[in-house]
Amino acid sequence: MSETTIPLRNVSSEGRIYGYFVLVLFSFLMVSLPAVAQEYRSGWDTVESGTNNDLFSVEATGDEIWAFGEDGIILGSQDGGLSWSPASVITSSDLSMSDSGFGSILAASSDGTVIIKFESASQWADISFDVGEESIRGVSLIRNDSAIAVGSNGSIWKYESETWSDYSVSGVDLLDVSFLDSERGIAVGDEGAILFSEDGGITWDYRDSPSEASSSRIIDIEFYSDIRAYAITDNGGVLKSSREISTQVGFLWNMQYFESEGGSSNLGVNLTSIEVATTNKFLLSGSGGYLSMSKDGGNIVTKQLIPVENLTSFNDIVMIDGFNGITVGSGGTILITERSGEDEQVGFEVRDFSEFGSFVDYSKGMLIDGLYATINIVLFGIFLGFFLGITLSMMKTSPTTLKEIAEKRSLNLVRLFGALALIIGFAFLNYLVPIVEGLGLDGWEYIYAPIGIINPGGITGDLQFENFAYLIFGVSLILLGSLFISANGEYKKSERELFGRTVSWNPWGVRPLNFIATIYTDIFRNTPLIVQFLFIHFGIQIGALIGDPAAELLEGSTNFIATFLRDDILSNRACVSAIFALGLNSGAYQCETIRGAISAIPSGQMEAGRSIGLNYMQTMRLIIMPQAIRICIPPMGNEMVNLVLNSSLAMVIGYSELTRKAKLINAVTFQVFWSYGMVLISYFIVTWTLALVLRYLENKTRIPGLGISGGS
Amino acid sequence: MENVLSIVDMHKTYPGGVHAVRGVSFDVMEGESVAIIGSSGSGKSTVLRCINRLIEPTKGEVRLRGEMINTPNADINDVRSRIGMVFQSFELFAHLRVIDNITLGLRHVRKMSRKEAEREALEVLEKVDMLDRKDAFPGNLSGGQKQRVAIARALAMKPEVMLFDEPTSALDPELIGSVLKTIRGLADEGMTMVVVTHEISFAREVADRVIYMDKGVVAESGPSSVIDSPQTERLKKFLSSISEED
Repeated sequence: MSETTIPLRNVSSEGRIYGYFVLVLFSFLMVSLPAVAQEYRSGWDTVESGTNNDLFSVEATGDEIWAFGEDGIILGSQDGGLSWSPASVITSSDLSMSDSGFGSILAASSDGTVIIKFESASQWADISFDVGEESIRGVSLIRNDSAIAVGSNGSIWKYESETWSDYSVSGVDLLDVSFLDSERGIAVGDEGAILFSEDGGITWDYRDSPSEASSSRIIDIEFYSDIRAYAITDNGGVLKSSREISTQVGFLWNMQYFESEGGSSNLGVNLTSIEVATTNKFLLSGSGGYLSMSKDGGNIVTKQLIPVENLTSFNDIVMIDGFNGITVGSGGTILITERSGEDEQVGFEVRDFSEFGSFVDYSKGMLIDGLYATINIVLFGIFLGFFLGITLSMMKTSPTTLKEIAEKRSLNLVRLFGALALIIGFAFLNYLVPIVEGLGLDGWEYIYAPIGIINPGGITGDLQFENFAYLIFGVSLILLGSLFISANGEYKKSERELFGRTVSWNPWGVRPLNFIATIYTDIFRNTPLIVQFLFIHFGIQIGALIGDPAAELLEGSTNFIATFLRDDILSNRACVSAIFALGLNSGAYQCETIRGAISAIPSGQMEAGRSIGLNYMQTMRLIIMPQAIRICIPPMGNEMVNLVLNSSLAMVIGYSELTRKAKLINAVTFQVFWSYGMVLISYFIVTWTLALVLRYLENKTRIPGLGISGGS
Repeated sequence: MENVLSIVDMHKTYPGGVHAVRGVSFDVMEGESVAIIGSSGSGKSTVLRCINRLIEPTKGEVRLRGEMINTPNADINDVRSRIGMVFQSFELFAHLRVIDNITLGLRHVRKMSRKEAEREALEVLEKVDMLDRKDAFPGNLSGGQKQRVAIARALAMKPEVMLFDEPTSALDPELIGSVLKTIRGLADEGMTMVVVTHEISFAREVADRVIYMDKGVVAESGPSSVIDSPQTERLKKFLSSISEED
């Protein structure tokens, strides 16, 4: 009475524990997120162009590279783009488009100015013509002396034998044209227009564009090869046409969805041009300093760093080969690359690892990445293990026996159920008989039958888990059925004479939930974790089985947590496998820990809970579990520390966690002592922090009078 | 007076084969307080636990207001919520404060809101004189206080009958008084109760009827006056052995 009363708080003590737990997990996540950013520099180098005029187009042919721009400026380079010199001015019109091929180079302006340079010629020839009210928007060579130009209101002109003829179609503004050879060409334009010609540009047919692009301006087309063509829309979309089995390129067009943009079909930039380097590798340019590349046909588009300010608008890219390329843009900007513009990691030179400082500098980034990966699988593993542990421990301590289940029903119902179970059980096993026979096993080899029936076809066959389920259910149902069908209403234990001794067994005392949980924990506690890792990853391939479909479910969501789950966890198969191996294994051990804590709760607590009318599950949830969890915090701490340490086994399935990173560092530096020593320290920091947190939790959740700190 | 609880030919054999209760029958009337006395191992606690089926009787009938409650089909949780039980070792929920110990059943069995349940809880806490410790944890209470909270916990459910399983045996002598006072108060208010006890004086004062159990059977029963004038040798012997202890 003399004690001061503590004001009643609204948060229950259980709520607080969960609160702390979540807090701790999140702080882990936060700490682990900013993995040290590696420094990159642009893969593009600036080249002096000698002009401030905007450059619109660039072409490469043979040894020569030509750039065209504002006020008719023409720049030429003979040395792969390193130095540029202006050619004599032929026109003052903006040369905004160009094409090269068949040995010739063509440039044009929207007002009808067209210049061409033949292979042998040293001078540009003027082949301008009168476009009347219309304007040219795109040109393409179809032979060394023949070209197609397209423009506003469906204008199409063909240059052949030194004259221009009009093959215009009715329709929208055409914005670009590209010919694969002298026959086949594609023109694109406003409102998603795609036209195809198979006769050198004389007749044109409309093709269906994807519905997503039906209202977009398709501004650039590259008819790259027999098997691939790409086009872009000015609002950031990429269209792709591939050769299907019997359909040639240009008939079927699909909008590209970008994995790198969270499954969107829009890059969110204003594109200006596309340059195809190989069938699946292309570069994109755009306004606002945008350059990007995809190496996988557009699934992942990586924006590139640029060495100039972001106000530069890049207008065209040309790839001389698969790696060397040039881009031109506003203000006379010319950039050159030897690596397709890919960002270059800074400081990738050979280092002297004989000094510890520089070794640490080199390896710390990898170690922190590894730590992050380790923490990922550990956190999810703990979650999964804890959930499993709680569930299994409740199953193990469930008091309901077969006797209690049967007693509540009439004898006839029990026997009827027994008969049904027998029939179904035998049906299951009967189904399996031909499969088992097909395995061709002999004698003791049958102990491997469970593996054989799941995957009778070997590496080429599917996993048939249902067969395993039939086996388990079949055997269990037969056992259960024969027990139930022989019920005589007494449900007593049976006794038999065996070798002169009385053996008694009590099948009615079997607790079904306990039985199931025991099978689970026995399997996981009696096999090595490393084999579980290998089996789950390579055998079951749980990443393909669960991770991929789950990642697909989250496809397109932009939520922070969802994208993290999808990109960092679920789409990494080794990560999914590691989480499951750790979680399933730890669940079996945590189950035993929690079960121990449950049995440490005096049975009177269960009686007290039941005596006020709570049912079994309510008593477990409200009374037994809250106390059991508090008791088992110290052993659970051990279990979690174990889980962290066991996570190093994930290296055997190729998951880049801490230990594997150390091995990789070793492979480069050969500093064995240092690298493994640093890994030791890293693990120590993680587990020790975890232990401290758990110690804190234990103190915080301690209830006066509970556990050995005092009797109740 | 209505018959609240009736026990007919109750038997209990434990799995080990111990035949603890061998055919016990008795009735408890509305407002009556019955004391069950007997030496250790006489089966009196087993009888009590069989009444609300914390232990399943092997044979026999238990009826609560005429309704058979020891069949597999009886709603046992409902039945238990109508029978209050107080344990020898209190069995308070150690992780919950006093008030939460009491509101737990009200909220999860009676489905009351927290506010409602707390109001009820404060009422019963006042009855057992524990209002000022409502926010303490059980671990910080004395034995007598714990037992009074346990009584309050049972009372809060508004039971039709209260079962006390040796409510004072785990208490120091100086703490027994307050608990007995609380139980006596309940009896005076007309609560129907069955008390398993070693406190002969308490049985004499409070109980309307005394049942003496020995070796699993009712050896003698009658009004509380039987304690002063035992009819059977066995009860005489038991009473004299108790007085020797005192």
